[in-house]
Amino acid sequence: MSMLVGDGLTHRFGSEPAIDNVDLVLDTGEHMAVLGDNGAGKTTLLRILATALRPTSGKLTIAGLDAFRERRRIRHYLGYVAHAPGLYPALSARENLEFFCDLQDVDRSRVAEAMETVGLASVSHRRAAELSRGMQQRLAIGRAILHDPRLLILDEPDASLGADAADLLAGLMRGRTAVLATHDHALANRLCPRTLVLRHGRSLGTATHLRVVR
Amino acid sequence: MSPLRVALAVARKDLRSEWRTREVVPALAQFIILALLIGNFGFQIDSRNATSIAPGILWLALVFAGLVAFGRTFAAEREQASLEAMLMTPASPVAIFAGKAAAASLLLIVCEAVMLPALSLFFGTPFSAQVVAAVLIATVGMAALGCLFAAIVARVRARELLLPLLTLPLWIPFIVAGGQAVQSAMGLPGSYSESISLLIDFDILFLVLTSLAARFVLDE
Repeated sequence: MSMLVGDGLTHRFGSEPAIDNVDLVLDTGEHMAVLGDNGAGKTTLLRILATALRPTSGKLTIAGLDAFRERRRIRHYLGYVAHAPGLYPALSARENLEFFCDLQDVDRSRVAEAMETVGLASVSHRRAAELSRGMQQRLAIGRAILHDPRLLILDEPDASLGADAADLLAGLMRGRTAVLATHDHALANRLCPRTLVLRHGRSLGTATHLRVVR
Repeated sequence: MSPLRVALAVARKDLRSEWRTREVVPALAQFIILALLIGNFGFQIDSRNATSIAPGILWLALVFAGLVAFGRTFAAEREQASLEAMLMTPASPVAIFAGKAAAASLLLIVCEAVMLPALSLFFGTPFSAQVVAAVLIATVGMAALGCLFAAIVARVRARELLLPLLTLPLWIPFIVAGGQAVQSAMGLPGSYSESISLLIDFDILFLVLTSLAARFVLDE
């Protein structure tokens, strides 16, 4: 069954198309990497897939539901790691996640598990502002999995994660459908059997990882 | 999750952040004291004219303090890119808006707790429950409107300029009715109860309108 279907997704900022007529289909449990140079449209595409941005035209279906009409419902099982961590600097790591547990309507006991998963259990009392960039990124990933989502949309989550980024992400993506935008071709090859290549907002098509060329 | 619980969680988060950073309240309290001082030195205040000048100074200080307090509510979220994370949850945007407006109102009320005794001290005007009630009732509607426009302008670069331009015209009814209520509470002619009724009407009207609009402002 298809978890995510994008049909003719287009988004314009002014007259410039950031994403131009992109089609994609992702089956349940499948992982797909999105590759492309800076400005290719990766973040715009991922924001659309995460329902954070409404496309100018085109249709997005997630788990059989119209993604923008049923946005609130879909967000119960969608986890999104955005380009910026988007944390509350004055709150501790634990308090950040507890707050999002309240908004996600999940039990706060999930916080300890999420902290453990992203390797932040020992610093959960520290304020987000005191954490390194990599730790903040881990905390943002922990926030995205609090509600145990079936679909993960990851926008360059490896940007400052360090050496064990691939293992961490592999663990998170296991058993879930995932879209991963990255500049790291080796990481994309390792984690995603399929790759979508974007150039100037247009899809150059999808391919298996062995055939990806720049 | 119930909208009330979401609103409480958002308000608690904002108040906790403010308690730890002390970013808004000390600066606003200082601004209010300075505004009252300037008003005090700028006018020839005596026992005969204090009650007619003080309400004007009070609303002037309150309006500008409110603009800062409400402007920060969404600007800070945008700057730290946390608003999108919050809106990506299934929580109702209206509840998120209500929580933020409630927290900003509480911060302004803390400043009002400094302002009203200071007004009485500097201008020798009576400090009564009626004055406090008028200011608090006006704060509710002003907060709803101020936060709505703060959410709208948070995504543009010239937000500090746009927020007063959009908000001040719609705050005029509160300033007029609130000014009349405070003046009559200080012993000047005018019906206190009529002014308070008008303020409550404005509160209801703008609370309904902003809660209807908040969904569209925050969703897109």
